[in-house]
Amino acid sequence: MAEITIDGRNLEVADGLTSLVAAEKAGISIPHFCYHPALAPEGTCRMCVVDIEGAAKPEPSCSTVIRDGMKIETRSPRVVEARRNVLEFLLADHPIDCPICDKAGECRLQDYYRDYGFFSSDFHEQKKRRSKILKIGERLILDRERCILCTRCVRFLRDVTKTGEMGVFERGDNSEIGVADGVPVATAYSGNLVDLCPVGAITDAAFRFRTRTWFLDPKPSICPFCARGCRVDVDVHPGFARYPETGGILRVRPRPDATPAGPWICDVGRYAWIEIESRRARRIVWNKGAAEAVLSGDKVFSILGAKIRALSESGRTDRLTLVLHSGLTNEEWADVKAFRDGFNPRPKIRLADPPDDGGDDFLRTAERMPNRRGAAEAGCDLQPLDPGELREDTDILFVFAGIWGDIGDLERRLEVWRTIRTKALVSPVLTASDPLFDFVFPCAIPYEKSGSYIGFDGRRREFTAVRPAPEEAESEGEILRSLLAACGLGARTPGGS
Amino acid sequence: MKNAAIILWALIKGSLITARHFFTNLWFHFLRLIGIKKYRPGAVTIQYPEQTKPLPSRYRAAHRLTKRPDGKPRCVACLLCATVCPSECIIVEATEDPDPEVQKHASRFEIDLARCCFCGFCVEACPEDAIRMDTGRIDLAARSRADLVWDIDQLSRGRS
Repeated sequence: MAEITIDGRNLEVADGLTSLVAAEKAGISIPHFCYHPALAPEGTCRMCVVDIEGAAKPEPSCSTVIRDGMKIETRSPRVVEARRNVLEFLLADHPIDCPICDKAGECRLQDYYRDYGFFSSDFHEQKKRRSKILKIGERLILDRERCILCTRCVRFLRDVTKTGEMGVFERGDNSEIGVADGVPVATAYSGNLVDLCPVGAITDAAFRFRTRTWFLDPKPSICPFCARGCRVDVDVHPGFARYPETGGILRVRPRPDATPAGPWICDVGRYAWIEIESRRARRIVWNKGAAEAVLSGDKVFSILGAKIRALSESGRTDRLTLVLHSGLTNEEWADVKAFRDGFNPRPKIRLADPPDDGGDDFLRTAERMPNRRGAAEAGCDLQPLDPGELREDTDILFVFAGIWGDIGDLERRLEVWRTIRTKALVSPVLTASDPLFDFVFPCAIPYEKSGSYIGFDGRRREFTAVRPAPEEAESEGEILRSLLAACGLGARTPGGS
Repeated sequence: MKNAAIILWALIKGSLITARHFFTNLWFHFLRLIGIKKYRPGAVTIQYPEQTKPLPSRYRAAHRLTKRPDGKPRCVACLLCATVCPSECIIVEATEDPDPEVQKHASRFEIDLARCCFCGFCVEACPEDAIRMDTGRIDLAARSRADLVWDIDQLSRGRS
């Protein structure tokens, strides 16, 4: 432990901390561009300078390790003057095109200019022109005029993903960020560069010009695209009074405590919702022969309820089969259990997930579904679905397809299931197999549910819905509950709230 | 009988007020005519709408989207007007501009003049001087609410 004084406050902090971290622990924030808590300190931006007693000049606090008895001033006139000058130099070549910059509103240059600036620049030279819309990755756009050369992106690719696509080229005031040999950034974690960039130099092509950041309402959730369970913020637009159509998910970002490895998420977690939103199923469909009928939910549930009741009256509810996926929340598994226990004999329950991909050695797990452990612990005697199964012993089949609308080989399985009398699909997205089912229910995506997952590490992660599901869509658990109620057998099965 | 007296008195009172205005205005017109009190005009009836009264130069009338020298709207869809608008009557959607020097322009810009309270905050907030309220148009009556939603073309047309 070391005893230090920051702004007149005596603190006892652990040895080996930098003064910036020590000050932040004491609740004193020091402005910085190049420092990032999950990256090694670099000390290039000079914005975090502080006065240290005994030092001739202000020292960068991000790379100054504390010593016992150190006296630090973070807001002395000399420090404020130094930061102002740093800011003036950084802005000397900055295009100040905030009106068209997607970073505006969460840009550190804007924030610090408000805190330390409000000066008029002493530079009267022509600003240097550099390339403005440079595509450096599938979804990354680099604007070199806005760049302040903090090298966070370079260090992230060098130290975290270890792919090293980017670097600083040229020298002096010709220095600029770029990709080596023009090879684009292809790492599966490229989206993190957008969050890392403290200014608007690297922006997200998927978010480009969609809205301004100050309209967004970040809602905490858990990433549902693999078993890692990264904590994410889903930025939704609450919409305007006469402009409700803007409402919706616009961006997914890691929370500061996203993973133990740092505030990173993979590009699947960041961008997969775009494809899912574009394929979103919104209506309940009854494929009545060739004509496709669109009905209200109550009507469809009463039709299906009557069919299940007919099975139940002849004591053959074991010919009712649910094919489920392990993306259901623990609470929905309780609904599944209640549904199963509502019938005697019990309906068959099978588990079918899209095939695992390999994952990677950083964050992505091989499991593509978020709650396989929760499914195993739910106590529903889950058996995996055999490809040739269910041809003979099923009259009513419910397939819950999961967020991708895919349980793996769905079309081939449907060949096997051709003779099943009543087939229903529950899927958040439209799929090519939709016409082959008698009923198609839209359902909520995980961001629209509240519940919990048990991740790959056995830890339970709770989350709440970031927005309501589309009007006709319900969560899988709600669909099962409505179905049980429509069978008229719900009274016998309390529980499954 | 008493009621008739009250009605008669009210009639006389009304005529006296009219007469007072008549003679006061006559007096002011007379003073103006002989060169005294030039700043105080007497009341005149304007034959609106054939005749219109000149508006003060800073009067906030219907909005106008200004144009660049090459004729494209100046607006870069920064949404500051929509942000500051207290009646949430401005809708802007942005899109990519083919010109890399511009990058961003509004693909949709609508003002619902039925909701607008003509506070002029949008004009103050605009960093590009892209919106002004200097058209002088105050005759904004329409037969339907939809007619009061002006799109980017109507707003760009300016004084008309």
